[in-house]
Amino acid sequence: MIEVMEELVRGAVSEVFGTMLSIKTVPDKTLKLISNGDPHIASSVGFIGEVTGVVFIYSRDEFARLITSRMLGMKPAEIEGDELVNDSMGELGNIVVGHIKSRLCDRGLSCVLTIPSIVRGSQFTIEPAASATRMVLGFRCDNNEQVAIEVLIKPMDTAEP
Amino acid sequence: MGRKILTVDDSKTIRMIVAKAFKPFDCEVLEGSNGVEGLAVATRERPDVIVLDFTMPIMDGYEMLSKLKSDPDLKSVPVIMLTAEAGREQVLKIAKLGVRDYLIKPFKEEMIIERVSRVIDLKPRGEAVAKIKSFDDEIHILVVDDKPAIIDQVRNGLADTKWKVDGVPAPGQAVDLCSHTVPDVILTSLSLPENGGYSLFQMLRGANKTKSVPIFGLTVKTDTEQQTRAQQTGFTGVITKPIDFEELKTRVCRTLNLDTSLRYFLQKDGALVMTLPADFSQSVSNEVSVHLRNKITLAVDAGIDKMVIDLSQLKKADITLIKLGLSTIQMCNELSIKYSMIGSEAVCQECKNYEETKDWRLVTSYQDAMAQLGVKLAAAA
Repeated sequence: MIEVMEELVRGAVSEVFGTMLSIKTVPDKTLKLISNGDPHIASSVGFIGEVTGVVFIYSRDEFARLITSRMLGMKPAEIEGDELVNDSMGELGNIVVGHIKSRLCDRGLSCVLTIPSIVRGSQFTIEPAASATRMVLGFRCDNNEQVAIEVLIKPMDTAEP
Repeated sequence: MGRKILTVDDSKTIRMIVAKAFKPFDCEVLEGSNGVEGLAVATRERPDVIVLDFTMPIMDGYEMLSKLKSDPDLKSVPVIMLTAEAGREQVLKIAKLGVRDYLIKPFKEEMIIERVSRVIDLKPRGEAVAKIKSFDDEIHILVVDDKPAIIDQVRNGLADTKWKVDGVPAPGQAVDLCSHTVPDVILTSLSLPENGGYSLFQMLRGANKTKSVPIFGLTVKTDTEQQTRAQQTGFTGVITKPIDFEELKTRVCRTLNLDTSLRYFLQKDGALVMTLPADFSQSVSNEVSVHLRNKITLAVDAGIDKMVIDLSQLKKADITLIKLGLSTIQMCNELSIKYSMIGSEAVCQECKNYEETKDWRLVTSYQDAMAQLGVKLAAAA
């Protein structure tokens, strides 16, 4: 499952960042979660059904502001406060995970999405339940920024033969 | 009357993207943040098309669509689903509900415009508002030229207007800029590398947002081959270099149907004042003539019976000026309007030498002209 998810995440990030933001992304295995003390933001969207889990998209706060400005065709300085950045990052998460969900459904793994939520901070980590499978993928963007995608998957029921 | 587009999405970001996408068109974008709000707005406003998200809190797109289809007044409103979820099952479910079309996120603005324009006829906002725009409004001109000197020339040549000139060196940057803000007029060099000017023309004509923006080609006066090619391609016109800025202004005004009368006419101190510019030419004369009768008629209608003809900015009196002066005087006489004329020293002197103008009683200041009309102005502080 984790291999499938890795392929789907890569496809979704490339497609969504390319189409909505005109930003090219390249997977970079050397990148890990952002934890250097810079303010950063994590957008999370869950999927529940025949496969259940949650996807977090991490970026620096400043990059999230740039993403918002790209989505809305505004200058970063024109975006006041955090509300719009939160909404845009939530929608970005929704679109990325929606893309993954569609491919899962095509593989017979139907699920529904949760409403996006946002976590902000300078030094935080998400601790998964011990049973969850965890995967982190780093992406380097063509503007030298980076995003990290963390996927937590609950073990699938194995009741079927 | 503009069209109404209703966007129903729980994400403010998506609603803002949709609103921005349709800004260049003569339409109103209404918003709802969930199915309940969407239904309320649809009932009140009867939109021409609804762009509907699927997953939303309170009432999702599926339920809102079912309710729309069971409402006799709203069931015929076309619905375009805009959803992040695009599995085969989902698409089939959407199709069964009777939506007109669907668009999967991620999407570009052009894609939503294209989908909506399949359902309703979108007219550029410019077509609806151009008639009320005047020469004194801010007109946005985009110049595409790889020679910075040309962009500077255009900027300087139009510096006496309120027009805003942006310049980019390459077609790609022009397309990017147009995707954010659609200019009123585009001037593109026809000698960009790899036929860039022509490729740009085709790209802009192929996009809904820019398909009606006037595009002029810029080429050297002697390059008749390029001029012919541009005309055959469908450019709005060709502006030749060196650029005659008065001609450029006139062509922009004509193309955008701008009201240019404010350049030449104003009502002041109880009189209609007609001022001819220093760069007076045949094309300016034609433009003034177009407005002349209407302006005099409007002034008379408003109770004004005096006119000042101000030629003080002109350096010489030629046949074009004399003809315009004579027709203005004739119109004043027909409507019993008292008139006076101001001239520069050169014009005053030259007018004495022509049979047609030797009787013109030109004065050299506005105060003297008003005094001739019996209006005593307070001395300037």
